[in-house]
Amino acid sequence: MAEDWRSYEPLLIPDIPNLHEIDVYEENGGYQALRNILDNREGKWTRNNVTNEVKAANIRGRGGAGFNAGLKWSFMPDPDDRPRYLACNGDESEPGTFKDRNIFEFNPHLFIEGALIAAYAMTIDTIYVYIRGEYIDWVNIFEEAVEEAYEKGYLGNDILGSGIDIDLHTTYGAGAYICGEETGMLESLEGKRGYPRIKPPFPAQKGLWGNPTTINNIETLANVPLVINNGAEWYQSIGAEGHNGPVLYGISGHVNKPGVYEYPAGMPVMDLINEVAGGIRGGKDLKALIPGGTSTPVLRADQLEGVSMDSNSLREAGSMMGTAGMVVMDEDTDMVDLLWRISHFFHHESCGQCTPCREGTGWLEKVLLKIKNGDGEIKDLDMLLDLTTQMEGRTICALADAAAWPVRHTINRFRDEFEARCKKSVHAVA
Amino acid sequence: MAEQDYSFTQEELDEIERLKAKFPTDKAATLRVLWVAQEKYGHVEPEVQQLVAETLDISPAHVHGVATFYTQYYKEEMGKFVLDVCTCLSCQLCGGYEILHHLEDELGIKAGETTEDGMFSIQSVECLGACGYAPMLQVTNGVYANNLTKEKVDKLIENLRNGNMPEFESMVMRQNEKRKKAVSE
Amino acid sequence: MPEVFIDGKRYEFEGKPKLLQFILDQGLEVPFFCYHPSMSIPANCRQCMVKVGTPIADKDTGEYELDENGERKIRWFPKFQTSCSTTVSDGMVVHTQESSEEVARAQKDTLEFILINHPLDCPICDQAGECPLQIQTYKYGPEGSRFEVKKVHKPKRVQLGERVTLDAERCINCTRCVRFTEEISETNQLTIVSRGDKNYPMTAPGEEFDDPYSMNTVDICPVGALTSTDFRFKARVWEMNQTPSIDITNGKGCNVDLWTRDNLVLRITPRQNEDVNDYWMPDEGRDAYQQFNENRVSRPSIKLDGDNQSNTSWNNAIETFAEVLEAHEADNLAVIGSPHASVEENYAFNKFFNLLGAANAKFTPHVIPGYGDDFLITDDQAPNANGCRLINLDESEADGIKAAIQNAEVVIILSDDLIGRDVFSAEDLDDKYIISLATNQTPTVEASDLVIPITCIAEHAASYINVDGRIQRSYPAKETKYTNRRLNLEMSEGRLDRYGTNFDNWVSEENKVDCLPVWEFLNHLGDRLGLAYQQDHSRTIFAELSNQFPALEEITYERMDEEQGVQLPIEQQEVTQA
Repeated sequence: MAEDWRSYEPLLIPDIPNLHEIDVYEENGGYQALRNILDNREGKWTRNNVTNEVKAANIRGRGGAGFNAGLKWSFMPDPDDRPRYLACNGDESEPGTFKDRNIFEFNPHLFIEGALIAAYAMTIDTIYVYIRGEYIDWVNIFEEAVEEAYEKGYLGNDILGSGIDIDLHTTYGAGAYICGEETGMLESLEGKRGYPRIKPPFPAQKGLWGNPTTINNIETLANVPLVINNGAEWYQSIGAEGHNGPVLYGISGHVNKPGVYEYPAGMPVMDLINEVAGGIRGGKDLKALIPGGTSTPVLRADQLEGVSMDSNSLREAGSMMGTAGMVVMDEDTDMVDLLWRISHFFHHESCGQCTPCREGTGWLEKVLLKIKNGDGEIKDLDMLLDLTTQMEGRTICALADAAAWPVRHTINRFRDEFEARCKKSVHAVA
Repeated sequence: MAEQDYSFTQEELDEIERLKAKFPTDKAATLRVLWVAQEKYGHVEPEVQQLVAETLDISPAHVHGVATFYTQYYKEEMGKFVLDVCTCLSCQLCGGYEILHHLEDELGIKAGETTEDGMFSIQSVECLGACGYAPMLQVTNGVYANNLTKEKVDKLIENLRNGNMPEFESMVMRQNEKRKKAVSE
Repeated sequence: MPEVFIDGKRYEFEGKPKLLQFILDQGLEVPFFCYHPSMSIPANCRQCMVKVGTPIADKDTGEYELDENGERKIRWFPKFQTSCSTTVSDGMVVHTQESSEEVARAQKDTLEFILINHPLDCPICDQAGECPLQIQTYKYGPEGSRFEVKKVHKPKRVQLGERVTLDAERCINCTRCVRFTEEISETNQLTIVSRGDKNYPMTAPGEEFDDPYSMNTVDICPVGALTSTDFRFKARVWEMNQTPSIDITNGKGCNVDLWTRDNLVLRITPRQNEDVNDYWMPDEGRDAYQQFNENRVSRPSIKLDGDNQSNTSWNNAIETFAEVLEAHEADNLAVIGSPHASVEENYAFNKFFNLLGAANAKFTPHVIPGYGDDFLITDDQAPNANGCRLINLDESEADGIKAAIQNAEVVIILSDDLIGRDVFSAEDLDDKYIISLATNQTPTVEASDLVIPITCIAEHAASYINVDGRIQRSYPAKETKYTNRRLNLEMSEGRLDRYGTNFDNWVSEENKVDCLPVWEFLNHLGDRLGLAYQQDHSRTIFAELSNQFPALEEITYERMDEEQGVQLPIEQQEVTQA
């Protein structure tokens, strides 16, 4: 990542007033990618070519997993007589993450256009957009945009005279983090408790109502028109090696200027904290960073040197990119309190379907509360670490992993602080 | 209290038909119809769940399972204003608990309780996706009140008592200066 | 034939079996809770985790790559796989807890989690002794508990419906009960409520769990969360004897087990038979245990003056019966068989009166149109209408029975409450001499002049032909005054019978009914009348039947036992009789 981020102009949420209005969006080149594709369906932009271009761009999924979006599209089976669905995941609930709401609010048509292109590429005629229930204001804002798109013929029957029909339905949840897990979201879309499904079968084979379904994050799909307009090569030129394109960074915690910022992938972490977000509040020192939402392992300040916000660099540093929801902690942060609160979150949000997560998340929280209250013992810390290995990789979905990692890494990386909170009498053995 | 008759108006039934049409099965509309019902009654107590099951012609057990899975559905009657204070991670770091405790002190109730006059309920909730604007709270599953201070909370309470709901606050990216200007104008 | 290697041993397989079921089918074991072969696979308990790998094959040639030792290179799944949801594939290599420390540890880890919020109240739990959680904890679980914080509390002693009681704290959220109501009984009456470790199964508020198959959820609950309201706290499973039998409350003939202690049947549970009832049975069939214990006809009785019956001796009963038969012509006898009695009983009964010169016994089916469902409840209320038909009893409608009675002086009824089910009324029997051979007190028995107590299905071995033409048989489960568990090799012995002393095996005489199998009684009666009639045992009666009726050719008790009943080549009759 070069130093040229300072001159970067946002692409996903460009600085154009009223861009959420369809006329303004169109005036600024909006829906050109879609038009272009529909005009060249027999030539440059066959369905396969669109998928291949997106695959070549390697848009890493922005929902947290970082999977190549185009590759995911290519897993869809050939069309048969079954319905096919695109399910767009707008359930962003990972603590530290608050980016997709900006797309709904400020550039909804970019996402709609991306979703339409995805639907075209995969021969899908029904798109569901699932938004978390708490975002009801953004649901309403987004639905206005959808209505405009219908009025202008971008959605519905015979889109722009192409003979292609694509419908988009917006719906929303009612308070459940697990519905951000892709198959939990499918269950919720089917009107059920958001219990993640066992895989295989994967959603591309058996998704919504048993039919082929692809699930993409909102920001991921918003990247698609950029790729079509400018080409995979151009997209690859933005960001870091192996992790390209613009990223909506959500910065929160102890910084002077928290908020969402759009910069290329691979931003130097310290630049983001110190320059973009204006440094630590009150002139204090940085203690730690959670780089991509609660479930990504916390990094101590001394682990952040030279680290950039892309999957390779963060992996080397001992964490993950996740949703790029960065939570910044200053020197006064009580890591025991913090970890207890994280564990409380996962305990509260575990769907309870499978054993290690249902039971493990509660056990973690209860022991951490004991330690936080000064009643813990050193052996509890080792037991907690043990429990994380008993949970990791043993469940239907990744919530147990997401609950286990912060415990493991926070204890390991701030062990002294945890030991200091434990009962002295027990500690005195050494 | 007299026994209440729970039913949807024709207008609501039309809306439910519209919601059902989004999905290939009626069951899929469960969440949405529970919302319609909660908007009407302010809660989804057992009778309301029953109404939803009857309206969609699905099993009452299914509706009950769904209603109890999702936290935004009020399984019992709440205050007129439900103040969901986020205390999760970023809000915890930025004083979410101080806001919660301030509210508890001001209203004389604990999180999970409702004031005697039925005006306010307070809940400590998980991440609401406003981490950059912490601490914050949500009013009755609706509008977000961002960047709270004790003073702002006091003002909010006063406004709510007077029937004034806070307005939707657009949090424009700092990079979008032109847009910011346009919003503030 | 495709192959799979489990703990180093090679097995061949066909089709696409799931790994856990395949392992179980080989007689091997992997612990599990949520899996049930007749329902969908949620893989939620995570107990059946094993280590799975597949051989690496060359893409072009399809040949397996070999390592330096010439062994196939294996690509292991990065995580343990739940064997219940894993499809077996050719060349797959599986390590279970038997050969892998890691897998054994993983299973122990899961059990530790399952147990942390479980109340561990086995000493007061009905499930103890037949509890998969208890058994598997014993075999695979951790030695102690590291859980030193507070357990989650949930509702206890919740009456879900008339028959099922919930202890939510014991629940391990396997969802078998919920899936049962969704996939098997299709009443959708249960759901999991709440979220996370607060989860438990429940009905909708105010709704009663009145599913006609509700008690199957008790059977499949792998812990003591769902227990039978009726059976709760009645007996420990290890104190009971378990005897295979047939549900006689309707025409389906669900395969069941009778659970007895001290010669009382305490409960009835389904016995798996995929050709009849799979793992299930209707709740109604479970109530039948009461009729095996209560309201029984015990010792013969006779009406001496007016309407009062009084007990009498067997000798006197035989003498009276014989005198009545001697005093009347065979033409004046109305002999009525029963769809409620077994094939052997009807045959022995009919043969006896044939020898006296009477025509074939009549019988009338016991059908309530519209009573049944498309599952295991039938319109037919009796277990053996087809058996009566097969041995050529004279099938009649109610009117036919009534006419036969009107023309008779003596009416002899085998085990059928014809008054109670309105075939005729007590008045129709005025001036007739009525003899009932019966198991239970009924209005018909009450109206009888002579009552001969006979064994019920829980006391004899006999066969029944169900509505689909399948012949299945029972075993004696409880002793009568004249049988002995130790001497009758067909009777099962429980743990207490085998190992208990007289002090802890509290067998009392009072629960033994003073009755005889029909054929044994008829032997005595035949002796008295000088009739060439001798039937030793239901098994020999059946051998005679098998020789006599082509449909029963080559059918024996042994075959019924081995094949869990045999489908007979008989026409299936559409039941129309009311």
